[in-house]
Amino acid sequence: MSSDKKWAMVIDLQKCIGCDTCTVACKAENRTPPGISYNVVIEEEKGIFPNVTKIHIPRPCMQCDRPACVQVCPVKATYKMENGIVAIDYDRCIGCRYCIVSCPYGARSFDFGEDYSREMIGYNEVQAPEYGIDRGKREKGKSPIGNVRKCMFCYHRLQRGEEPACVEVCLGDARYFGDLNDPESVVSKLAASPRAFVLQEEMGTKPRVIYLK
Amino acid sequence: MKSSTRLTKAWYGVLVILMALGGWAIIERIRGGLAVTNLTSTTPWGAWVAFYIFFVGLSAGSFLLSTMIFVFKMEQYEKIGRDALLVAILSMVLAMCFILIDLGRMERFWHALRYWNFTSILAWEVRFYVVYIGLLMAELYFSMRQDLIRAAKGSGWQAALARFLTFGSTDLTAASKQRDHRLLKILGSIGIPVAIFGVHGGTGTLFAVAKARPFWNSGLFPVIFVVSALVSGTALLLAIYVIRSKVMGREVDKEMVKSLAGLLTLFLFIDLGLEFYEFFVGAYGLQYTELATIETIFRGPFSWSFWWVQLFLGVVVPLFIFFHPRLKESVNAITLAAILVVIGILGVRFNIVVPALIVPVLPGLPWGYYYPTLVEWLSSLGIVAFGLFLYTVAIKALPIDTVEELREGK
Repeated sequence: MSSDKKWAMVIDLQKCIGCDTCTVACKAENRTPPGISYNVVIEEEKGIFPNVTKIHIPRPCMQCDRPACVQVCPVKATYKMENGIVAIDYDRCIGCRYCIVSCPYGARSFDFGEDYSREMIGYNEVQAPEYGIDRGKREKGKSPIGNVRKCMFCYHRLQRGEEPACVEVCLGDARYFGDLNDPESVVSKLAASPRAFVLQEEMGTKPRVIYLK
Repeated sequence: MKSSTRLTKAWYGVLVILMALGGWAIIERIRGGLAVTNLTSTTPWGAWVAFYIFFVGLSAGSFLLSTMIFVFKMEQYEKIGRDALLVAILSMVLAMCFILIDLGRMERFWHALRYWNFTSILAWEVRFYVVYIGLLMAELYFSMRQDLIRAAKGSGWQAALARFLTFGSTDLTAASKQRDHRLLKILGSIGIPVAIFGVHGGTGTLFAVAKARPFWNSGLFPVIFVVSALVSGTALLLAIYVIRSKVMGREVDKEMVKSLAGLLTLFLFIDLGLEFYEFFVGAYGLQYTELATIETIFRGPFSWSFWWVQLFLGVVVPLFIFFHPRLKESVNAITLAAILVVIGILGVRFNIVVPALIVPVLPGLPWGYYYPTLVEWLSSLGIVAFGLFLYTVAIKALPIDTVEELREGK
């Protein structure tokens, strides 16, 4: 992975149909346990009848350029990678959850150690190779149980030259993924659109997930 | 004498039962991980964090009270000087126990010292706690040294401990006494900024810098932490002093108790005033999350902890007692008021930690709901009992009272 890339995601809210396919694909890709969804779709109803509309806001991790979580982590377990992605070192994290408290997007979850072994044969046999690391079986007392987890733009897929799972499956083709360092890339052009905005801009976190109104 | 040994036995009995229950709960917690709590990813901090800041506050408050004696030479409070230091040390021990069982990966607690993120308030806190505990221990030692030397001459296990602690020194000269006093003053003076800005102001800061939680995110927050620490520390020491004097059948220094009650009243009023500004300025901003948090505190499912525990028991009843012409002359009533204040501050800690984490950071995300589980309650009770046990052992083993007092007691 050449480090001159700065990954970013653009989500067109006009194209999002609120189907939650991204959420499902993300859970399948990252094999997240019960209670953890790296990506959720926030639903908002706006207006007064009869002039009402529904807005769906898919919310992955924003991979902020000024991440509040990285600021507060006491042990530098969560850190900013060269390519713009905010990563978590499961082997260093002490599970204090200060980052969850500090994230203005609610994008972080704590792994309480629950699993789907009742609903799904072999759920614990293998884990997703998050960050490109194969962790083998999911077992009590082994990381990532007891750690904080979140979306990392499917870094393991990027390493294989693939897009993040949520981008690949999006029905409305609402998600764009690419290199913000390349001025010719689709995401760079869309990010410069007058429709572009980011969530919680006043927090000064400089998110790398950009929305189009 | 007979009744006092029976009382001692009953006291230890109660503590052992509570510690056994707490021990069971902690084993459950180790086996089951944090899944045994009612914490979620929406509300990631709960009872254990509330207890942790409660005890850090008690510690800082007790220590700051001790500096009035060892640094500012207010001799009217001398009787509680060492007690204050001992309570400050033990409160820190308990605070560390609480934060340890709150960690998702307890076995990695040492990472907190091994790795150091300079921008993390929590990382600075951990280091301040270590320095502060060392400072407290040194201060307690020098405040007792003279009496330890005297105690070393006796027989029994306390004397053996005293001999061990004094390294066989027998220096009781006036010069050495002066040196001890000077050291106390120096240590106390270093301790004041460490306790105010490092330890408890710092603990308030770790909440205040969380911009995702507008209710915490104010410059007043660290200040309120320090003031409420003074409130709880003063109240606890007052209560401990009276209860201990009564158990040991000693004369209670009524003037000192009344003076402490006056101090407590002053701290309570400052705390109330700051609290008012905190809510007023916060609400005036009309910011969604802030309003939702205040609404949760005032009208949420556990709003009783604000209205009844924090305000009624913790403020209204004590102030009524402190201003009532007859009650304010009664040591028992004052002690009751002090105990209520301590309970009230525990309510304050819960109301700081939980409501701000019930409200979602973004509109449309799920709301949290949190009430501690039995395991959380029992483990907390057990840790508190462990602290009381340590305290009881410490006042037996060490010359926490000044010698004149011991003579009075005999």
